[in-house]
Amino acid sequence: MNRLAVLIVEDEAEVREALVRDLEPLAGSLQVETADDVVDARAALADIVAGGGRLALVLADHRLPGATGVDFLVELNADPATAATRKVLVTGQADHADTIRAVNEARLDRYIAKPWDPHELISISVAAVTDYIISEGIDPLPYVRDLDGQRLLDYYARRASDR
Amino acid sequence: MLTRHKGTIGVTLAIVWAIIPLVFPIGDLSIEGRRMLAIFGAAVVLWVTEAIPLYATAVLIILAEIVLVSDEAIVHLSDGFDAPKYASFYGALAHPVLMLFLGGFFLADAAAKYRLDRNLAGVMLRPFGRSPAAILGGLMAITALLSMFMSNTATTAAMMAVVLPVSASLSASDPLRTGLALSIPVAANIGGLGTPVGTPPNAIALGRLADEGIRIDFLTWMALAVPIVIVVLLVAWVLIVRWYPAEADQVDVQIGGAFDRSRPAIVLYATFTVTVSLWMTEPIHGVPSTIVGFVPVVVLLTFGVMDSDDLRNINWHVLWLVGGGIALGTGVSAAGLDVWMVGLVDWSSLPRIGLLFGLVLFSLALSTVISHSAAANLLIPIGVSLATASTIDLDPAMAAVVIAVACSLAMSLPVSTPPNAIAFATGDVATRDLARTGLVLGALGLVLVAFVAPPVWDALGLLP
Repeated sequence: MNRLAVLIVEDEAEVREALVRDLEPLAGSLQVETADDVVDARAALADIVAGGGRLALVLADHRLPGATGVDFLVELNADPATAATRKVLVTGQADHADTIRAVNEARLDRYIAKPWDPHELISISVAAVTDYIISEGIDPLPYVRDLDGQRLLDYYARRASDR
Repeated sequence: MLTRHKGTIGVTLAIVWAIIPLVFPIGDLSIEGRRMLAIFGAAVVLWVTEAIPLYATAVLIILAEIVLVSDEAIVHLSDGFDAPKYASFYGALAHPVLMLFLGGFFLADAAAKYRLDRNLAGVMLRPFGRSPAAILGGLMAITALLSMFMSNTATTAAMMAVVLPVSASLSASDPLRTGLALSIPVAANIGGLGTPVGTPPNAIALGRLADEGIRIDFLTWMALAVPIVIVVLLVAWVLIVRWYPAEADQVDVQIGGAFDRSRPAIVLYATFTVTVSLWMTEPIHGVPSTIVGFVPVVVLLTFGVMDSDDLRNINWHVLWLVGGGIALGTGVSAAGLDVWMVGLVDWSSLPRIGLLFGLVLFSLALSTVISHSAAANLLIPIGVSLATASTIDLDPAMAAVVIAVACSLAMSLPVSTPPNAIAFATGDVATRDLARTGLVLGALGLVLVAFVAPPVWDALGLLP
């Protein structure tokens, strides 16, 4: 039903559940999906698109079985349909080279080191999805309550009109 | 899926409504009248269902009028028919009243760009102190004042952005949160009716009247409408303060900051002051507001206060929607459809007061569920035709103004106006809150506009 989605890619079940729990305040406005590896993440993305949704934000771990989180982010950045998706690494294990690649080739938006602060996770996610809504010209009203309402309304003031 | 179905049904219905009068003779209505009836019927369906965008219906009307009833019509016209020039239908898109409205858009957009609106609001809010009831009153007064010159929607969004952090600082159960989120859209809806540039229905009324040769200047419109704004606003304030008593003792609202002192900002301040002053002093200098309105367009573009991006961002579709309404009124009148429609009912048995009551009630009801501009586009031509028909003791200017004002006062559902939708989106306002406030204010508006205002306007000789 929700049109904007957040995708969590994390192989450890406990960590994945903790991320979902910390993002609970946004679950009213955003569809929160999870995947345990990159293959699963591609399937989840296909599901989101098939349901008429758009992927606004990916929170990906780096070290995963098979392809890495950075590989997935680079892949998303190369596809015009997901190039604007906000990309965040949530990891403790990405080395220098991986991180450089994520910044240069995936246009990484944020890097959250594990263990994360739940408030920081929420504020980064809120800012990222708010950016996505404004840059993509999505109707901001359904997201005023749970995301950065002040920025969304300032943006709405410039584009809306009486009717 | 639902919207796609609504689209198909709406378009099908519009085509059927259009075909019937085109094919079958209707009483003694001329062929041109039947063609206009087809256009009018399709416009009703399309503006009510929004099967296609509101502005698409507006341009469709203009094209249909050109090919069916203008001097360049592609079909045969009756011999005695005095066909309007096709350029006059295109001309509706650049009607002088739209140029006035465009001037309003330029001032409002430039004010938002240089944050003049927020900074002025900050200065004006200071004297209201920190008690919740006073702050609520201050926010409502400022919102209403801003929305007289800016769109109701942009004013609501900007002011609501200011109110959000205040609400967030209150306890989740404090009714003041609802009071704050309700006060802004209500004040913006009411304020919009205060000046000719406040909201589209006002322009639609002025445009239709101008085509009948009746001119209402800026100050006269304000003299007619501002007293209504003040009364309804005061009642709204009392209602909201009583229904949503604050638990917090004090509230602190942060709006605005230092005024921009860059050269373009100074040019804007000067242009704003001069334009509004000239609008308000028309009786002294005699330059129509429709000409003064083009001055900010020229000055702000010349001095680079507004650039090509800002020009692209102007809400042209609103102007075109109003233009379509004006063209519809022109066509209905030129084809004699108005006289025919008015002649269907023996109006002479109805007293003026009954007629006003009916017009206001119908305008309120229709605008509650469809776009205010679309409602005004459909009802103002009918109201003005009714008034010009000789059997009825109703001034055309009065008919147009009461319909425009009534359309603005329809605000009892989240869908009634975009400002309501914004309030609803904050999550602090439920449909019930909008409904009871909107219904009480609508009822008050009905009494004021149908029964109180007209005799006062007559007594003061305000209408031309």
